[in-house]
Amino acid sequence: MSRPRRDPRAERVARQIAAAPAGTGARPRFDLFASPAAPVSRRDPRAYWAAARVVGGARLRFDLSLLGQGGGPAVHEPAGEPAPKAPPVRIIEDPAFLVVALADAPGGHLTTQDRQLLGAARLLADSGGGAVLLLASLLPEDAGAAGADRVGVLRAADPDGRADALAAAILAHAPRHVLFPETQAGGDLARRVAVRLGEPLFCGAEQISAKSVARPARGGTVERRCAPPRLITLADGAAAPHGRVPHEARVLDLSLPEEAGDARILAAESVPADPATVALGEADFVLSAGNGVSDFAAFRALAEALGATPGASRMVCDAGLMPRAAQVGASGTVLEARCYFALGIAGAPQHLQGIAKCEHVLAVNTDLHAAMVERAGLAIVQDAQLVMPALLQALREEGA
Amino acid sequence: MKALVLLSQGRHPVSAKPCLLRAEAQAARLAAGLDARATGLHAGPALGAVREALGRGLAGLTHLRMAADADPVPALAAEIATAAPDVVFAGPRGQGGEDTGLVPYALAHRLGWPLLPDAVALVPGVEAGTMVVEQALPKGARRRVTVRLPIVVTVHAGAPAPLPFAFAKARRGDVDVRAAEGPVCAPEGEERPYRKRPKLAARPLGGTAAERLAAATGGSAAGGRVLVRPAPEEAAREILAFLRQIGMPKSAR
Repeated sequence: MSRPRRDPRAERVARQIAAAPAGTGARPRFDLFASPAAPVSRRDPRAYWAAARVVGGARLRFDLSLLGQGGGPAVHEPAGEPAPKAPPVRIIEDPAFLVVALADAPGGHLTTQDRQLLGAARLLADSGGGAVLLLASLLPEDAGAAGADRVGVLRAADPDGRADALAAAILAHAPRHVLFPETQAGGDLARRVAVRLGEPLFCGAEQISAKSVARPARGGTVERRCAPPRLITLADGAAAPHGRVPHEARVLDLSLPEEAGDARILAAESVPADPATVALGEADFVLSAGNGVSDFAAFRALAEALGATPGASRMVCDAGLMPRAAQVGASGTVLEARCYFALGIAGAPQHLQGIAKCEHVLAVNTDLHAAMVERAGLAIVQDAQLVMPALLQALREEGA
Repeated sequence: MKALVLLSQGRHPVSAKPCLLRAEAQAARLAAGLDARATGLHAGPALGAVREALGRGLAGLTHLRMAADADPVPALAAEIATAAPDVVFAGPRGQGGEDTGLVPYALAHRLGWPLLPDAVALVPGVEAGTMVVEQALPKGARRRVTVRLPIVVTVHAGAPAPLPFAFAKARRGDVDVRAAEGPVCAPEGEERPYRKRPKLAARPLGGTAAERLAAATGGSAAGGRVLVRPAPEEAAREILAFLRQIGMPKSAR
């Protein structure tokens, strides 16, 4: 796989001494001591392993996925702080074609599905020397690491204006593929663009490769499969996010026309979610009480002051101190929240399953060795009953 | 106010029996709230389980009988243009055909009407001939859009639950069956029995074995900051600083 294969027949022919004239019946002769045309490359077992060596750290470690990936000289660095080494950025200067990926990127942060989308776009682009163009309302900082060669801004806010701008961009740049996430915003935009361009849309693809895409049809009874068309929407989990080679993420000026708003839409007003009434599965910030909380009036006041949705552990719900609908975990609600604040929760495995998708976790617990303390980004080993009034007081001082 | 609901040939997610889709039953409820004589519209070879919509709040049904592989959009657009409703409701993704969810979009484009996705509530506006549509956004947020009629609306799963099924109303409701034609559209590619596929997850590469294990189990590799027995006031300060750093308590300020 990594080493070049020898061709013994070619080597034998190269060593043959000029053939005797035909008909003399002389047998073929070989010079066994002649140096071969291409010198046989010797295997260097030290370099072979050195390529896989993880530099730094007290113990000798090897990353077996890198084994035999080229023989750099063995690195013998003194144990201690490893030198930070930025991986080389891959630059595609003159792409054969473009693959456009439309990220939702709420607030300029790539979601998991956006990363999967870029992974799929990378797959399609790398099959023929293409480049990935990421379009979003706000440019994410880590677009290059996620696999984007070019990035562009799609400013229009209203769905029709956005679809018009995107359709214009597709007609101008003629990308080979345009990928959308099958989410609320992404799926809506994909369908609007498809009817504007009058092109078929392959929506909810569950499998994607350079040769084929597949999706369920007729109520999920059959699977439709064909070569990747131009417009595709991807279901969650259809592709893995891009690996570790960062790409350039060069900013591209699309110079899209400014669209006038739709005259039939008279007014649009955003209503932020009310944390007190929003469903736990949809909440963005959850404050959760466990067995370490006994003063529930203070807990509710804190949830209101922080603007968080109240949740609870199974222990608290079983005791009847919080409603069953507030239970977080495998047998309760699996959260989609960005931030989770656990008060007096040790972190049973079933509870940790419920918060697996939470990006930031805060924990207040008396036990230093609790699983929740290990999971948390900021853990405070202290009685939750003492921290709650202090936090309320601090919030009050801040507000005053 | 005249309302019309697009209905499709649904399939129950567990039993696989034909049934009315929940989103379309929710749409029937929203339509019945606006118009007591709201009707349903279905294009396809047979009516089947679509009749159930009569027991979920609709007063009548129009069935455009056409071949299974015909494109329903031209016939539906012509029917809607004659019926001239103010609001056309649809589910987020009709079933039974290609399941692309494109039909409401194609209709809105053909009729030149605005399409508002993910509606959870509709209230007639203050000005005559307008409607206030409440749309569901991710993370429980809402958007209230005032729009001039007529409109096409798709219904979100968070809309009010369907009306309870009324058997007598389902029997009593009248069904208008008409023959219709449409251009044949053959989907490209091959068709196979459906096979559920595993979701692909990020495969952590490189790093130490401990980091890869942590990435696979969802924990943080390095572990966070741990403060052991701080004064409660200091703990509160640290918590608020952490929350501010991640930009979290937005609604608090």
